[in-house]
Amino acid sequence: MRTLTRVSAVVAALFSLATVAQAQSANINATATVFQAMTVTGARTLDFGNVFPGVAKAVAVAAATSGRFDLTGQASANVNLTFTLPVNLVDAATNTLPIGTWTGCTNPTNSTASCTAFTPSAAASPSAFSGAGALFVWVGGTVTPAGNQAAGVYNGTVTLTAAYF
Amino acid sequence: MRRCLPIVALGLLALVPPLAGQSTITGVRNLAFGVVIRGVATTVAPGDPIRSGRFYVRHILGRQVQLDFTLPTQLARVGGGGTLAITFQNGDAVAQQTAPGSPPTPFDPTKKKKIKLTDSADLFVNLGGRVSPTPTQATGSYIGTVILTCTFL
Repeated sequence: MRTLTRVSAVVAALFSLATVAQAQSANINATATVFQAMTVTGARTLDFGNVFPGVAKAVAVAAATSGRFDLTGQASANVNLTFTLPVNLVDAATNTLPIGTWTGCTNPTNSTASCTAFTPSAAASPSAFSGAGALFVWVGGTVTPAGNQAAGVYNGTVTLTAAYF
Repeated sequence: MRRCLPIVALGLLALVPPLAGQSTITGVRNLAFGVVIRGVATTVAPGDPIRSGRFYVRHILGRQVQLDFTLPTQLARVGGGGTLAITFQNGDAVAQQTAPGSPPTPFDPTKKKKIKLTDSADLFVNLGGRVSPTPTQATGSYIGTVILTCTFL
């Protein structure tokens, strides 16, 4: 009888072990970094001026007629620059003027002196805001009129998309 | 009969699945919103392979585990000076057992959820959410703690 009691006690203890739910916890962090909103302004048009049939013309980033974007954002923050570039400029009669060989340069100050060159046609170009939250971006390129290029005014749109990273 | 007692006890021990040591939970990955902009709410989906939070839970095949999150309502600015609202809603948590083809189980992380381990003895629990910086939110880094408590049944 004593043995039976012991067995019962063991069984009860084991069932007790089996049915007690165990709880465990683990932690992770939730993190975020708040930046001020960014502004991107098309400050100056990339202007090739007069060009002539059969004569390619390039505008360098340091030229007075290069395109320029002015950005403001979080001080010292990293930013990726991505461009949407035309392959042709178009006139009112839908004639096209090829454009390419894009060049780019960035600087935290509004000067192309000692600016950092990049390739606007690349997937994304990393840059950074100044300690005051400023960034300037210049764009140059080359138009290649055909020998029989129709006379007219040709336009296209260069779009800069900037994103913190 | 006395000699039989240890044998009976050992037999019963073999029948009862030991829980201690087999059941674990581990924090695998932080819920990382990355850069967010003042005045712009930002959401991380639980399926985001980089930014979603993630826990790993191991228990016993065929048994249940109860998942109970302790969630922050705001993140604290590192160094002081502000808080950042964070919210969670139904579907922001997803549990998925590790067996190939095991379906994901979305659930509301603000409520307890029981999962039966029918496909494998372990699972991942992913967590998404959203932060809502105000237009005047102080810039800087914010952090909070997410706790997942598992009751192994």
